[in-house]
Amino acid sequence: MKRAIGPAAVALLVSLWVVAAADADEKSLTIWWAQWDPAAGLQELSQDFTAETGVAVTVHQIPWGSYQDQVFLEYGNESTAFDIVVGDSQWIGRGATKGLYLELTDWIGGAIDLDGIHPLAKRYLMEYPTGSGKIWAAPCETDALGFAYRRDWFEDMQEQTTFRANYGRELTPPQTWKQFRDIAEFFHRPHGKRYGAALLSGRGYDSITMGFQPFLWAFGGAWGDPETFAVKGHLDTPAAAEGLQFMIELLKFSAPGGTNADYGGVLNAFTNGSTAMALNYFPFFPGIVEAMGDKVGFFVVPGHDGTRAISLGGQGMSISTKIPALQQALAKRFIAWFQQKSVQQKWITYPGAFTANKELLDSAAFRDAYPFNGTFAQSLDHLRDFWNVPVYNELLAVNARVLGEALDGSKTPQAALERLAMEHEMILRGAGLGR
Amino acid sequence: MGERDGGAELGDHWLKVGFVAPALLLLLCVNVFPLFYSLWLSFTNADLIGSGAVQSVGTLNYSFLFIDPRYAEALRTTALFVVAAVSAQLVLGYGLALCLQERFRGKAVLLTLLLVPMMMPPAVMGVYWKLILDGSYGVLNHGLAFLGFGQPQWTTDPGLKLLSLLIVDVWMWTPFMLLISLASLNAIPTYIYEAAAIDRAGRWRVFRRITLPMSAPLVGLAVLLRSTDALKQFDLVMAITGPNDGATQTLSALLYQVMFRDGKVGMASAYSYVVLVVVIALASIFLRYLNHLQRRVGTAS
Repeated sequence: MKRAIGPAAVALLVSLWVVAAADADEKSLTIWWAQWDPAAGLQELSQDFTAETGVAVTVHQIPWGSYQDQVFLEYGNESTAFDIVVGDSQWIGRGATKGLYLELTDWIGGAIDLDGIHPLAKRYLMEYPTGSGKIWAAPCETDALGFAYRRDWFEDMQEQTTFRANYGRELTPPQTWKQFRDIAEFFHRPHGKRYGAALLSGRGYDSITMGFQPFLWAFGGAWGDPETFAVKGHLDTPAAAEGLQFMIELLKFSAPGGTNADYGGVLNAFTNGSTAMALNYFPFFPGIVEAMGDKVGFFVVPGHDGTRAISLGGQGMSISTKIPALQQALAKRFIAWFQQKSVQQKWITYPGAFTANKELLDSAAFRDAYPFNGTFAQSLDHLRDFWNVPVYNELLAVNARVLGEALDGSKTPQAALERLAMEHEMILRGAGLGR
Repeated sequence: MGERDGGAELGDHWLKVGFVAPALLLLLCVNVFPLFYSLWLSFTNADLIGSGAVQSVGTLNYSFLFIDPRYAEALRTTALFVVAAVSAQLVLGYGLALCLQERFRGKAVLLTLLLVPMMMPPAVMGVYWKLILDGSYGVLNHGLAFLGFGQPQWTTDPGLKLLSLLIVDVWMWTPFMLLISLASLNAIPTYIYEAAAIDRAGRWRVFRRITLPMSAPLVGLAVLLRSTDALKQFDLVMAITGPNDGATQTLSALLYQVMFRDGKVGMASAYSYVVLVVVIALASIFLRYLNHLQRRVGTAS
């Protein structure tokens, strides 16, 4: 018996080694992305890539709350566990200047049709510095803020009559922020646990910044001069303060706790059936449709005095510099495959998956795929983004604190923006940007 | 014989070294080395993710402390938190200990129940309390509504955020104060109380002249331990309001923000060194006072 155990153990070890060696030869790609519907869609779509090439693809999903921290902590290692990271638009400056993202400028022109990409997606999701033509990512998820609204409330005959009598116009989705305010006020009935609007105002990551931007830009303010990085005179103007004041006024029509609501909080306020209108990113809307069906409709973020500006969302696919050249080549192959029109055509059929392909964005197939796709396509031309410089995260953190103080009433909008302008300039100068 | 004795001494010596060395080595690796390494980092531009070379920046990180408004605010918030939390825990814990000093039926069960919060992991408790304190669906507001009270927004109202953290911290750590206070009260010899009774000393006089001074050294030690612990408050902030909320950003939360969100290792090291110096200074002042108190109590008894 003892004699038999020895050779058996050796045989087992040899077979394990053979299996391990075979596994090592198998080609695979690992993509890191946040945990949401589009990432699940990408995992499913990548099976087609595996079928074509034999390369297994794993989309590792990380909860949004810790996604950024985990990615950059991973970059602190000698090599990264991911080959491709689907990074937020603001990350691109950090990725490019810190040597984390592989530069794709020389390769990408020959691999994908750059002219077919929406110019704003190219500008904000691919380039750094913006407009330089240096490319560090390929569009994965093009995204924008939009509004979901209670269509059943808006179409209720009695509500329509009362609204017409009170405000002298029809109860239809608003085109301007002033119309939005009227509707929010109209539906705000806290005693009946019904609220006017849910806006992004959370203090984690970028929620408050993304929520404030449409007001800042529409009322005539700006984060700063993108050429000189001067902030004072752009962010602390009376027009910018008016925008912030308007946002604060609107938050009075939100549910309790609405002055500190992140993406999940806003989604919850709407899906629990208490709120008339909710601002959020389009990839969150499939869940709303699933939960509420045709009770909901969607509209483009309103404007002010003829200016409509919408916070860009979305992420690009970047290749890690901290992986072997062979893996980088494999990652390029995947990106080139993903950008093909036929693949993008399938991509837009997944819930919350949005393309940057101009032709597909204009197609009836895209508009008809989901009830919010038409609104999404209309939103694209109004997109703008926050600073995507390497110190974007410090700027976001200051925003969360100082804008939060304005929303909480501990600072006036003007004082908050003056403080913000001062801190932004300090951070940008500290990073060697501007003079 | 003498040689053999000498050999045995040498053997004992190496045996001692053998026993102590692993612990010492571990201490050097995980405590002393990081301490000096982070001191070096505090004078550099070290970056969490940067691939560039680490360069010396002199005292720039330290001088940035004075112009970073977040640091002053975090210092203020932390000081307020420490003073308010430890004071409340001291008063409640000591008061409960006085009540529980006497023997009564069910005392052991009551004491065990009172100690439960202290046994819970703070991070987990933070998550639970966030749910309890939620303005819309939290059980606390449901209770208040049932009793006909308003609906305070515990975690979003700027005036209530820090108070919410204080409530949770006091709930968690009052049992610790209770435990130490009870031990200190039980350590007072009964003959002193008997002597006071013979002298017909009143209850207030007994408390002021015997109970309070004789329990003070041990309770003071508990205050010191709680204060240093509260100075490091992080778990509850992280779980309930997040590390970047101006109203509740403690020094530890700010350090997390600078280190892990901004990725500035050098600056975070400088910030933490200043905190370390402040904590050491406060602790040594307090320890001196405690020693002085203990000497006085020793002389008196």
